Amino acid sequence: MKISKTQFLFILTLILGAYYLVIGVYLNHLGYYNQENIFYIEKTKIVFEGLGNRIKVMGLTSPLLPFYATFIFSIFNTCLAPVIASAVGTAILFYIIADALTKRINDDFYLYMLMILFFLHPGMLYAACSGKAIYLVLIFFFLFFFNLLKFYRSNTTFHVSLASMCLVILIFCDYKFIWLTLFFAPLVLAITVQSLNLGEKESIFRLFLSFNRPSLRRKLINKTFAIYVILFILPIASIICYKLLNLTHANDLNYFIESPYATWSVLVDKLNYDITATSANYQLPELSVMVSVRVICFCPLILLAVYLFRKSTYQVLTILTPFAFIEFLHIKYDKLFLNYEYYLIFLILSLLCLVFKAQAIKRQNILKIALLVIILVQLYTGYIFLSQSLITDEKSFITTLATHEVNTDQAESMEMAEVINNLPKDSHVLMDDAISYPVAAFTHDIQKLTLPYQYLFLSAIETPYYYDNYILIATAKNPFAGYTQLNNKYIPLIRIVNSGVNYKRVYETNNWILYQIVSTQ
Amino acid sequence: MSISIPELLVNDGFILPGDQEKIHDFSERSGLSYVKIALNFGYISRKNYERSLINAGFTFAPIRNEAFDIEVLKKVELKFANDQVALPLRIENNKVVTLMSDPSNQFFIDFIKFTYDLEPEIIVANDLDITWLSHKLLGEKYVKASVFDLLKRDPKSSASTTFTNPQLIIIFVMIGIIAVGLVLSFKNTSIIINVIISTFFLIAIIFKLFLALVGSRFELHQAVTKAEVRDVMDDTLSIYTILLPVYKEDKLIKKLIWNLQSLDYPREKLDIKLLIEEDDDKTLKAVQNLDFPAVFEVIVVPFHMPKTKPKACNYGLHFSRGKYLTIYDAEDIPDTDQLKKVVALFEKLPSNYICIQSALNYFNRNENFLTRMFTLEYSYWFDYMLPGLDTLDIPIPLGGTSNHFKMDVLIELGAWDPFNVTEDADLGVRAYAKGYKVAIINSTTYEEANNDPINWIRQRSRWIKGYMQTYLVHMRNPVTLWKKIGWRGFLGFNFFIGATSATFLAYPLLLGIFISYLIFDFSTMHTLFPDWVLFMSIFNLMVGNILMIYINMMAVFKRRYFELILFAIANPVYWLMHSAAAYMGLYQLVVNPFYWEKTNHGLSKVNNPTNVIK
Repeated sequence: MKISKTQFLFILTLILGAYYLVIGVYLNHLGYYNQENIFYIEKTKIVFEGLGNRIKVMGLTSPLLPFYATFIFSIFNTCLAPVIASAVGTAILFYIIADALTKRINDDFYLYMLMILFFLHPGMLYAACSGKAIYLVLIFFFLFFFNLLKFYRSNTTFHVSLASMCLVILIFCDYKFIWLTLFFAPLVLAITVQSLNLGEKESIFRLFLSFNRPSLRRKLINKTFAIYVILFILPIASIICYKLLNLTHANDLNYFIESPYATWSVLVDKLNYDITATSANYQLPELSVMVSVRVICFCPLILLAVYLFRKSTYQVLTILTPFAFIEFLHIKYDKLFLNYEYYLIFLILSLLCLVFKAQAIKRQNILKIALLVIILVQLYTGYIFLSQSLITDEKSFITTLATHEVNTDQAESMEMAEVINNLPKDSHVLMDDAISYPVAAFTHDIQKLTLPYQYLFLSAIETPYYYDNYILIATAKNPFAGYTQLNNKYIPLIRIVNSGVNYKRVYETNNWILYQIVSTQ
Repeated sequence: MSISIPELLVNDGFILPGDQEKIHDFSERSGLSYVKIALNFGYISRKNYERSLINAGFTFAPIRNEAFDIEVLKKVELKFANDQVALPLRIENNKVVTLMSDPSNQFFIDFIKFTYDLEPEIIVANDLDITWLSHKLLGEKYVKASVFDLLKRDPKSSASTTFTNPQLIIIFVMIGIIAVGLVLSFKNTSIIINVIISTFFLIAIIFKLFLALVGSRFELHQAVTKAEVRDVMDDTLSIYTILLPVYKEDKLIKKLIWNLQSLDYPREKLDIKLLIEEDDDKTLKAVQNLDFPAVFEVIVVPFHMPKTKPKACNYGLHFSRGKYLTIYDAEDIPDTDQLKKVVALFEKLPSNYICIQSALNYFNRNENFLTRMFTLEYSYWFDYMLPGLDTLDIPIPLGGTSNHFKMDVLIELGAWDPFNVTEDADLGVRAYAKGYKVAIINSTTYEEANNDPINWIRQRSRWIKGYMQTYLVHMRNPVTLWKKIGWRGFLGFNFFIGATSATFLAYPLLLGIFISYLIFDFSTMHTLFPDWVLFMSIFNLMVGNILMIYINMMAVFKRRYFELILFAIANPVYWLMHSAAAYMGLYQLVVNPFYWEKTNHGLSKVNNPTNVIK
C-alpha cells in the first residue's frame, strides 16, 4: 500500500510527538520542572479545583494562550499537561513547516534536514520537552512571517489579515512581541511604495515620485495607512481590550505583565539576572550590544536565508526585522537575559526562507552541502547556547537531559507540598503563591490552601487564626522573600496584633517554614 | 389614412432604413409587433412616435375609462395583446372598438376580422395606456397565478402562514418555561439563559470568522476571466430576461436606461421588463415622457394583495422569453460584462448550478456615515461571506438583485414566494433543498446605498422580517430540512439565516447588561454570571466585537476602499440600528407579515458613472 505525502508527514509528526513525549515524561520523572510549567500547573489547579475569584485567574494569567493550551491537556494529567502541550505543539510546528516545505520543494533532502533539526537540535528538544510556551511562540512566529511573505507575493487581504491574527496570538503567547510592530512601521511604507504602479524602479525615486504628485501622495497615504490598520489594529485593539480587562478586574492596566500573581516571569527573570550579575565569576556576555552576532553564531543558517532573498529588498528587510527586535529587547529590558526562544525564532525564520527560496537556487548540490554543514554546526551551537545559558531553567534542562541524573531543583517545594498533603483533611494553609506557587502546584488539594485569588485572603493575612490552621512563610534565605508579605517579618508582626495566638514551627526547609497556628486562649 | 406607420417613421427620419429592416426581421423571428420593437428596443422614443403620428393626422385618445365587454375580451389572450400593443374592447355599431398603438398593424386587424367576424374601429392610443389597460383587464389569471401558484404546488414552502400551530405551541411553551423558571429560581434560570446566549454567540462569531476567512482565501480566484468573456460569441448567446420591478421610481428612469444601454449584450437578445404596479402612474408617466428611446418593455402588474416585489416578478415571469433571467433594481449599475460573464459561467458549471449571484456594492459609498457603513457591510457580505458559504456548500441566501437564474428551473422551483418579503433568500434555500446549487461570480452590481436613517431602518426591518419568515418556513420541519440539505447546510442555515435576526434582537439587551455591569456594582451581576459564563461573555464581547469589526475592515481593504477602513470601528453603533430594525421587523412579522416596506431610491446626490469593464 502506497501512502500519500500528507499521510507520510502525519505519521512522521506522530512519531516525533511520541518521541518528544517520551523525553518530556522521562525528564519529568527525573524531576525536571521549570518555573513556567509549574506556574501553569498551579493556575490550572486553581481554575479547575479552586474556590474563589477564578475568573481573574482564568482571564488574567499570562501568557494567556500557553496557559489555555495546558488546560486542554490537564484532563490527562495536571502535572504533565505543560509537557504534553509542548510536545504536541512542537510536533504540530514540524508538520506545518514540513507541509509548507513539501508543497514547494520536491526534494526529500530538505525534509530530512528538517527532521534532523527537529529530532536532534537541543533547542527544539527544549521547546518540545520542557513544558514552556516556546512551541506556541515558534508556531505563530512562523505563521506570521509565512503569511507576510505570502502577502508580498499575492497582495491579498487574506494573507495580510492572517498575518495580523498570527501576530495577535504571538503577542498573547509572549507580550514582548508587541515591540515587533515597531520595526514593521517603516517596512510597511516600503511595501506600499513598492506596490504602487509606477514606471520608476528605484525605491528612492519611487518614494520621491509618490510624495511629489498629489494623486499619488493621496494614494500612498491611504494605502500605507490601510496596511498599518489591517496589520496592526487587531494586536493593538486586543491589547487595549485586554488591558482594560486587567483594569476592571485587577485595578491595574499592566497586571498581566507586572504582577507575580499573573505571570511567572516577573520574579524569575529578575532573580536570574540578579544572581548572575552578583555572582563571583561575573560573566555577562550579553552586555555586549552585539546580540545579533550571538544570533548569527547560534543560527548561521539565517545568513543563508538572507542570501537566498538577496534580490528582494523588502523580503530581506522583513527577515532583518527580528534582529532589530532583539536588539531593542536587549536595550529595553536591560536587566533581563534574552531567553532561548529569541534565538530559536531565527532558526524558524531561516527554515521559512528555505521553504520559499531553496528550490530557486540553481546549484542545488552546493546549497545542500552548505545546508548540511550549517545544520550540523547548529546542532553544536544549539547545545552550547543551552549549556552555557545564564538562565537556570535552560541550563538545568540540558544538564538533566545530558547526564540523566535526578534534578533536585524542585525537591524542596515537593518536600514542603508533601508535608501539606499529609496535614489533616480539614486543615487550611495560608500561603502567598506569588512566590510559593511551586509548593501549591505540588499540593494535591488546592482547596486546602488560602491563596491571594480568594476574596478572604486579605482578611486571612490580617487575622490568620480565624481562617487557617497553618501559614507557609518564606525564610530570609528565600531569594523571593522580599516579594511577599508572608516572610520572616510576618510572624512577629502578627503576634503583636493578637498575643493570644501562638505559632509553632511544624516543618522547615531552607526556603520555607510551615507554622501551625495554636490558640492559647 | 392608409399610410403604413413604419414607412411614416422612416419618412419622418425617426427610423433609419437599415434599422427598419432589422425591426422587421426581429418581428418575424420573435412574433412581436413592429411598434413593440420600435418603442421597446431603443429605436424611437415615445415622444417622437407620438409626434410623427400626430403630424400624420392621428389623434391619441385617453382610453383608461373606455367601456369594455368581457365577452369580447375573452377572445383575446393577454400575451398576444401585449406583443401587438393592441386590445379589442367592445362591439359598437357592428364594429369592434379596438385600441391600437400602430393603426397600420395589419396582422392585428386581420386577427380582429377573423376572430369577431367584424371590421375593427380603431382608436389610436398610447402604447403604455394600452399595456396598462390590457394587463388590468386580462391579467387577473396571471396575477392570481403569481400569488397562489407556489401556495398550491408546494404549500409547505409558502410563507402565507407565518407561524404554524406546532411553532406557536413551541414558542409559547418556551416562554412559559422561562417565565416559570424565572419565578421559581430567578438566578438559575438567568444563568441558563446566559449560558445558552453566550454559547450561541460564541459559535456564531467563530462561524462567521471562519466563513470570512474561507471566503477571503479565494479573493484572487476569478470564476470567469476576461479572456473567457472575450471568447463569448454574440451569435450563440441566448435571450436574457431582465426583470426590473419598480414602484414610484420615476426619478430613476433616465438613469436606468443609461445603465441598461451600457450592458454588453446584443440588444435584440435582451428581454427587459419594467414591472410597474397598476397604481403607479408616476413611473408610467416618467416612461411616457422620456425624450429618448427606451430599451425595456413595460409590464403593468394588476392590483392584487400582497403588493410585493416577488409577486411582481412572478407576474413578469409569465411574459419573459429568456433562457436566463436576472433581476435588477431601478438604480442598479451592473458591470457592463456581467451578463456575458454569467453565460460563460453557466456553460462552465455542472447543470445543477441554477443560479449565479453577483456581488453587490454601492456607488455612493462616501456620501454619509450610513452609506459608508452600508458599504462596509455589503463588501463583507458579498465578498467574503457568500463566497465562504459557496465554498463550504452551505445554502446561500441570495441578494435582492443581480441573481441570475436558469429560467426553466426557476419556474420548476415555483419562482418567488410572494408572501415572503425576502423572497430571494428563501429561494436560495429552496433551490438548495431541491439539490440545486448557487454559484458566486466575480462581477459587481453597484447600487444606491440608503442614505437616510429612517429609510434605512424601514428597508432593514423588511430584510430582517424576511429572514425571520424564511427561517420559520424552512424550520417547520427541522428533520426534513436537515435530511434535505445535510448537517452542514442545516447548521449554516441556522447560524446564517436564523442567527442573523436573533443576534440583532439580543444585541441591545446584552449591551444593556454590559453597561449596567460597568455602571453598577459587579457583585450584583456576578450572581447572574458565574465565572465560566462571565468569561465566555467577556470573550464574546471583546473578541466578537473586534473580530467582526476586523472582518469588515478586511472586506473594504480587499475592495481598495481604504478610506472606509476606520469606519468599521463604528460598527457597534451601526448594529444598534440593526437592532431597531429587527424589533420593527419582529413587530411587523406578528401584525403585518406580508407588508412590503418600500425603500425609497433616488435619494442619493452622488453621480453614478457606469462601471465599464474593459
